[in-house]
Amino acid sequence: MAGTVEARPRPAQLPPWDPFREALRATFFLGLREVRIVLRSAAVVIPNLLVPVLFFFVIVGSLENIAERSGVANYKAFQVPVVIMFAVTGGSAGMNLVVDIESGYFDKLLLTPANRLAILLGAMGADFVRVLVQGLFVVVIAMVAGTEIATGVPGAIVLAAIASLWGLAYSAIGFAIALKTGSPQATMNTWIFQIPLVFLSTAFAPLDALSGWLKAVATYNPVTYFFRGLRSLAMVGWDASEIGVALLTAGGFGAVTISIAFLALRGRAKG
Amino acid sequence: MSAIETRALRKEFPGGVVAVEGIDLGVAEGLVFGFLGPNGAGKSTTVRMLTTLLRPTSGQASVAGLDVVADAHQVRRRIGVALQDAGLDGMATGRELLVLQARLHGLSGLAPARRAAELLELVGLTEAADRLVKTYSGGMKRRLDLASALVHGPRVLFLDEPTAGLDPASREAVWEEVQRLNRDDGITVFLTTQYLEEADRMAHQLAIIDQGRIVAEGSPHQLKRSVGADMVTVEVPADKVPAARRALAACEGVVDARAEGSGITLFVSDGTKAAAEAIRLLDRAGIGVSSVSVSAPTLDEVFLRATGFRLEGAGAGETGEAA
Repeated sequence: MAGTVEARPRPAQLPPWDPFREALRATFFLGLREVRIVLRSAAVVIPNLLVPVLFFFVIVGSLENIAERSGVANYKAFQVPVVIMFAVTGGSAGMNLVVDIESGYFDKLLLTPANRLAILLGAMGADFVRVLVQGLFVVVIAMVAGTEIATGVPGAIVLAAIASLWGLAYSAIGFAIALKTGSPQATMNTWIFQIPLVFLSTAFAPLDALSGWLKAVATYNPVTYFFRGLRSLAMVGWDASEIGVALLTAGGFGAVTISIAFLALRGRAKG
Repeated sequence: MSAIETRALRKEFPGGVVAVEGIDLGVAEGLVFGFLGPNGAGKSTTVRMLTTLLRPTSGQASVAGLDVVADAHQVRRRIGVALQDAGLDGMATGRELLVLQARLHGLSGLAPARRAAELLELVGLTEAADRLVKTYSGGMKRRLDLASALVHGPRVLFLDEPTAGLDPASREAVWEEVQRLNRDDGITVFLTTQYLEEADRMAHQLAIIDQGRIVAEGSPHQLKRSVGADMVTVEVPADKVPAARRALAACEGVVDARAEGSGITLFVSDGTKAAAEAIRLLDRAGIGVSSVSVSAPTLDEVFLRATGFRLEGAGAGETGEAA
């Protein structure tokens, strides 16, 4: 040990504590930390960018002619919301939390006077930034590949932003599993929820083109209504009611998943 | 005012496992309090309750005069904690980690960066301050963890086995720094350890915990005196140990006696007198004495007497740092 420093506080040295302000500060700085981790592990993000792009080209290449013969006029634009969905729900939300739990750093954070919600809100805020970047990347690639978005570049940005809200809601599942189990394996398997949500919806064909049990399930799948809102931006134009449907669907989904994540946080922080 | 006080503090985990069985502790301000026990004795569970990480099943505990359940937030503002496994963010640099820690404790403006620089110098990590923590050696991580526990100037410092796994030089550095913090800054230190040497050297007061219960408590000096002022160890042929024990039963001033192998240890009030008498009694019984030694009791004997077994790896083990 090298030097000497005053370690004991005089009572007056305890800084004043405004709970709301400190919670905001903690959320901001913990969010910055999460962004820093993502930037320092950029290699982990690359598959999240490339896989949806690959999906886009494979699905469009396979189904474009069939879909257009069936009356879907602009199948590339029809598929943009789907690949953005893959982009914003890709990656392993909650893995940083698991690493923190396993290393003991999560306990270190709990030992600070920072509001515990800030740990989750900071991580979710940073995740929103991550999925927004992933969503924008995919929409840019789709447009470069010749996809015509009915609302143009502003609509493409809004589309990616709304999809990122869904991504945020979806990532809360990963955070909840991470906090509840502390298990990397369980958290990495969060992607499995995406399979029924996307594949049992109107991801590849309009609702009218579906039949039998798939049509029945898709009718009650919230993703169907989320796609409807995004597709209106991609294929029709600015329609507040359709955008509202997408926002409401993402909001409702998020209300459920984020509540579960907060409950999981409370359970872990309670000790 | 006590810096730390517990009354009938108990923790039972789901499944009926009782880790801490109603312990009473009192630690005066400004002391280094050693909490000694083997693995699984309940040391870490006690620390986790005192530091607000774990809710007690029953009983009460206060730290810095504040209840650890009702005033958990205020307790966290006044304590520094370095847990058994240095919980650090491997993807941050040492400096970034300390700055964030300072911010989460409410320091703002330039204060976090200034405080981080001071503490990095204090623990000798200025050179490595801008390297990722995941590249640090075990000793460096311990020192950084200690620095992060000090970032807000705590009144009470909890150190859970702070030197476990450290090489002798790093261990010495941690000991010196903890003693300095206690001596110069008046910080109360709650130190859990399974190293007798560490407890003996560092602690003003000690408690020994075994199977969730406090089995001995006092200053190291008091505890050692409780097993007798001196120890007389006589070595006899192994087959003569039972006869030697019978002969030595007549020795005056014996507080306790234990046989291990071919040695018999007498805990006595006057070692010199008892050694002479033991030789005379064994000679009279026709038992040859290989050697006789007189020594002062150690915490090892205290531990043995309190728990019925010796602490495994009681000395601070020789383990190297992992780079």
